[in-house]
Amino acid sequence: MRPGGAAGTVGHRVALPDMGVSQRLKSRFRRFLQRPGTTVDLAPLEKRLPAIAAREEELKELDDAALTDAAGRADDYVDICAIGREAARRGLDQRPYDVQLLGAMALLSGKVTEMATGEGKTLTAVIAAYGHVRLGNGPVHVLTVNDYLARRDAEWMEPVYRLLGLTVGWVTEASTPEQRREAYDRDVTYVSVSEAGFDFLRDQLVTDVADRVQPTLTTAIVDEADSILIDEARVPMVLAGAVAGEQDPVHAADALVRGLRAGRHYEVADDGRSVAFTAAGLAAVEAKLGDINLYADENIGQLSAINVALHAHALLHRDVDYIVRNGGVELIDEMRGRVAQRRRWPDGLQAAVEAKEGLSATAEGEVLGTITVQAFVALYRTVCGMTATAVLVGDQLREFFKLEVAVIPSNTPCVRVDEPDRIYATRAEKEEALIAEIAAAHGAGRPVLVGTLDVKESEGLAAGLAAAGVPCSVLNAKNDAEEAAIIAEAGAYGAVTVSTQMAGRGVDIRLGGSDQTDRDRVAELGGLYVIGSGRHDSRRVDDQLRGRAGRQGDPGASVFFVSLEDELVLRHAPDAIPPSPRMNADGLVTDEQVDFAVEHAQRIAEGVNHELHRNTWRYSVVIEQQRRALAERRERLLTSDIAAEMLREKFPERCEEIDPDVLSRAARTIALFHLDRLWAEHLAELSEVREGVHLRALGRLDPLDEFHRAAVPAFNRLIPEIETRTVATFEETEFDADWQPDEARLVRPSATWTYLVHDNPFGSELDRLIAAVGRRLISAGRS
Amino acid sequence: MLSAFLSAFRTPDLRKKLLFTVGIVAIYRLGATLPSPGVSYGNVQKCIDVMQGEQSGVFTLLNLFSGGALLQLSVFALGIMPYITASIILQLLTVVIPRLEQLRKEGQAGQAKITQYTRYLTLGLGILQASAFVALARSGQLFNNMCDQFPIIPQTDLPTWLTLVTLVITMTAGTGMVMWLGELITDRGVGNGMSVLIFTSIAARLPSEGWSIKTSKGWGMFFLVLALVLVVITAVVFIEQAQRRIPVQYAKRMIGRKMYGGTSTYIPLKVNQAGVIPVIFASSLLYLPQLALQFFDQNNPGDVQAWVQNNLATPSSPTYIAVYFLLIIFFTYFYVSITFNPTEVADNMKKYGGFVPGIRPGKPTAEYLDFILSRITLPGALYLGIVSILPNFFFIWLDNQQYQNFPFGGTAVLIMVGVGLETVKQIESQLMQRNYEGFLR
Repeated sequence: MRPGGAAGTVGHRVALPDMGVSQRLKSRFRRFLQRPGTTVDLAPLEKRLPAIAAREEELKELDDAALTDAAGRADDYVDICAIGREAARRGLDQRPYDVQLLGAMALLSGKVTEMATGEGKTLTAVIAAYGHVRLGNGPVHVLTVNDYLARRDAEWMEPVYRLLGLTVGWVTEASTPEQRREAYDRDVTYVSVSEAGFDFLRDQLVTDVADRVQPTLTTAIVDEADSILIDEARVPMVLAGAVAGEQDPVHAADALVRGLRAGRHYEVADDGRSVAFTAAGLAAVEAKLGDINLYADENIGQLSAINVALHAHALLHRDVDYIVRNGGVELIDEMRGRVAQRRRWPDGLQAAVEAKEGLSATAEGEVLGTITVQAFVALYRTVCGMTATAVLVGDQLREFFKLEVAVIPSNTPCVRVDEPDRIYATRAEKEEALIAEIAAAHGAGRPVLVGTLDVKESEGLAAGLAAAGVPCSVLNAKNDAEEAAIIAEAGAYGAVTVSTQMAGRGVDIRLGGSDQTDRDRVAELGGLYVIGSGRHDSRRVDDQLRGRAGRQGDPGASVFFVSLEDELVLRHAPDAIPPSPRMNADGLVTDEQVDFAVEHAQRIAEGVNHELHRNTWRYSVVIEQQRRALAERRERLLTSDIAAEMLREKFPERCEEIDPDVLSRAARTIALFHLDRLWAEHLAELSEVREGVHLRALGRLDPLDEFHRAAVPAFNRLIPEIETRTVATFEETEFDADWQPDEARLVRPSATWTYLVHDNPFGSELDRLIAAVGRRLISAGRS
Repeated sequence: MLSAFLSAFRTPDLRKKLLFTVGIVAIYRLGATLPSPGVSYGNVQKCIDVMQGEQSGVFTLLNLFSGGALLQLSVFALGIMPYITASIILQLLTVVIPRLEQLRKEGQAGQAKITQYTRYLTLGLGILQASAFVALARSGQLFNNMCDQFPIIPQTDLPTWLTLVTLVITMTAGTGMVMWLGELITDRGVGNGMSVLIFTSIAARLPSEGWSIKTSKGWGMFFLVLALVLVVITAVVFIEQAQRRIPVQYAKRMIGRKMYGGTSTYIPLKVNQAGVIPVIFASSLLYLPQLALQFFDQNNPGDVQAWVQNNLATPSSPTYIAVYFLLIIFFTYFYVSITFNPTEVADNMKKYGGFVPGIRPGKPTAEYLDFILSRITLPGALYLGIVSILPNFFFIWLDNQQYQNFPFGGTAVLIMVGVGLETVKQIESQLMQRNYEGFLR
């Protein structure tokens, strides 16, 4: 979004009541077109505000016990908001603004609310959570982006909940099953979305009902909804068990690909998502192996290992895609620039990266159960969410979750100045200008927050700043522990903070530091100055970064420094840049075509991500249905005796000899084990099919239909197979043997690399025809 | 297939989709028979009767696609053709105009804009075509000036320009409406909207054409033709389904890798890889001599002209049939070679780590694919040729009067079977997805 546009949006938000006729017409038309952010009419909610305000005095008279008592009787929006406001005033000494109540009401009616950074989303969620419980939608889960926020918010808001007569709990990675069960038992539970998802998956694999921790999923309030529902949605949460006995071919393969050179031995695709050997590279590898044919049937295992090793070498970069810490490889979340906890690459890639870094390999995982964040969130009966940037993903929220966006005006108008991008021809010029700009602002004492794209860049910039005599705190995936503290001080006088992407989402930057001692001095200098060292893959993430400045009417400014050598531009729009753009002597480019090219590149990146999301989703629909169908079946096996009855029918005599209790336990355990195993095998088979299903388009078949055609019969064979295997195991098992499936271990692979961006990379038949004719015309023109 | 439909009707949301599609099709057919304001329905019918059996020339194919609505100048006279044309033009323009190319790369959002442009262009084309046909109708050329005694757009009290403008507006609006109906089917019904509407148009003419055989030849012939048509359709369905599967393996997984019978990933090469396009190309090309004849003096033909008249413009002549057949074979090879680029496919496989077992990636794979493809294309081409010339034999056998509007042959059968199969497949796949309950209860 152009800076002017950003200001315009803000203006639109606050100026709702006094719009001109043409503006009103325009907004009508946008609503008619169902543009995201226009479909929710706040007027009916606004009408309740006077009634809420009217109850304020009366509620102030009550003592705490009477307030709690009243809270237990509230059953409409007015009561809920009025009592919620009073409880917040007493519990936190913060009286929620009208806009926060509006947000709470929108959340109560199942919307995604867009509220600017610093408008008090956390408190808004409390009133909404309370309302949902009162309206019979409890228990409520508040899904956060990480454990830190889950715990902080739960503890911070506890006094309010107490006054409202509700219990609140939180779950983090470190929680024991006991603690989890207790936390989920509360009226409101704060939990990171991945913990909630893993608890769900684990519950799906228990062999005893008593081992469950999570109750039925009822209502979810999703914090940072765009991040969780869109960015993370396509990452599957995977429960994996260790695979025993597989020796490690990847380490051996690593030695083979070491020393190969890009361009000569292998080629990386333009989109940076795939790599392939050239003939020379293949010959080199085969020569090292003693002139074998890697593509012969017996060498396929080795070929797979070599491909994976090559992927690790050519496509994954240290300090960009992962960091090495404590003798292990830790993935960096590409959207958030922080370490993705317990996330692993699938299919041996993790081991390959460990081999590349000379680390010993951790055990490989085999997928036991999987659910995408999207499917998990869909399990809740009621879903609502809040974020600072929802409108830009409004179409996707509607497409994937049937959620509408309600734009809540900010309490005080935003006065942040968004300057136009500064585009430089080369990266070196950009960095020079960037450091000069930071040094200048720092010299005046103005706090600066620099957002970089990856860890490497943040460290390079920190070194550059140190050389220029500017001290700075660096916040990246490597020191995420101090994250909240560093971010909280980013607004202090003279502070320079270099951070990767969206690290520290959810923590406020107050002017003058966390205690706001120098607030006036900093405000006078123009407030927090946010500088982006490059455009991100989506405008939304850019806007999140800008949003760190100018909270609650504070002064602030933002600017992005872009170079034509940035990866975003190189990857997506190399053709759109004019051969000799207009520029100043210092390398600052002032060419409209270049401005367009940068935005074009960003739009392509957004489109690619959207397409990835949609494809993952389209193919996961059928898997999710099968998961649900099997979960039902499993539930019955778990809670009834059907497995034992089946065995009794088949082996009446043998069953007579076994103690009925032992039989029913053993039958259940065996059947569940085989069900889980077969499901894991089924998932592996489906990913195999998924890999090459796009080739069916060549036979004028629809890949998605073909995927269903393969997935459904495979699933239909599953149930009889469970029975067959259960019977077989029963026949060969002695019943004193205490026999258990492998202990499940939790890992979370990032599975994006295996999926194609395009469902049909060859285009439609017409595309191919036109492309072929075009090629012929061009080559004819040349000759 | 019938059972698929039955169980589809038992699945609530599929039933809704099917009924929705049927409803849209009904609206489409209603609009296709609804006369536009200012057109004399009676006179149009008389003209069509006069035309029966005459060669109506270039409009035949268009008329086929619009289900006979074109000659009737109904509200949906232009049918889906302007939309198809607009899509093709926009596709072509993306090669020429960089701005469009960039939009296309921007994914969903850009594609939405291109779709929007397509819609505008459709309306533009609609205005052009509507004006052209209204002008033709008014001058009587729509029916080759053979029924000038019955004016299609008779004089009324209203000024003529108003009638004509109303007609153009009505037909253009009709085009927009058809476009919308098509998109509705794609979004909320079953099948691809454009294909379903074309299918409807062609199928709509079957009963009346069949009946005309009965009236002219009697019941015996009627049932004989019906039986033959069924045999042809069965054969077409059979061959349309035939494919050769080239197994492909992806070597990049280290765990859970297991051969599932080796059939889970493959490239399906169809026997009829080219579809119906070669037939359309060939018949369009064979219209040219006919068209050319119109420019010459019809009453005093020269030698060449007479030869062309007797051989290339007469569907029953052996020369015509032979040329038609050879053209189809040529275009089949041509089209397959253009739309299936073995090098590109091999590159794509290589890029994502796939290969045909036993064959090295890159050039050897491309050569292998090329070899298989050229072998499989021969039966495909012969099949297309035979199916397409069948109606010409029908024609010799029935007599000259029936050919032009004969809907059971060549293009029509291929299109109908193609669309039918595609739609049934989609229904089946959706059905499979929704029917776990069946075995789990």
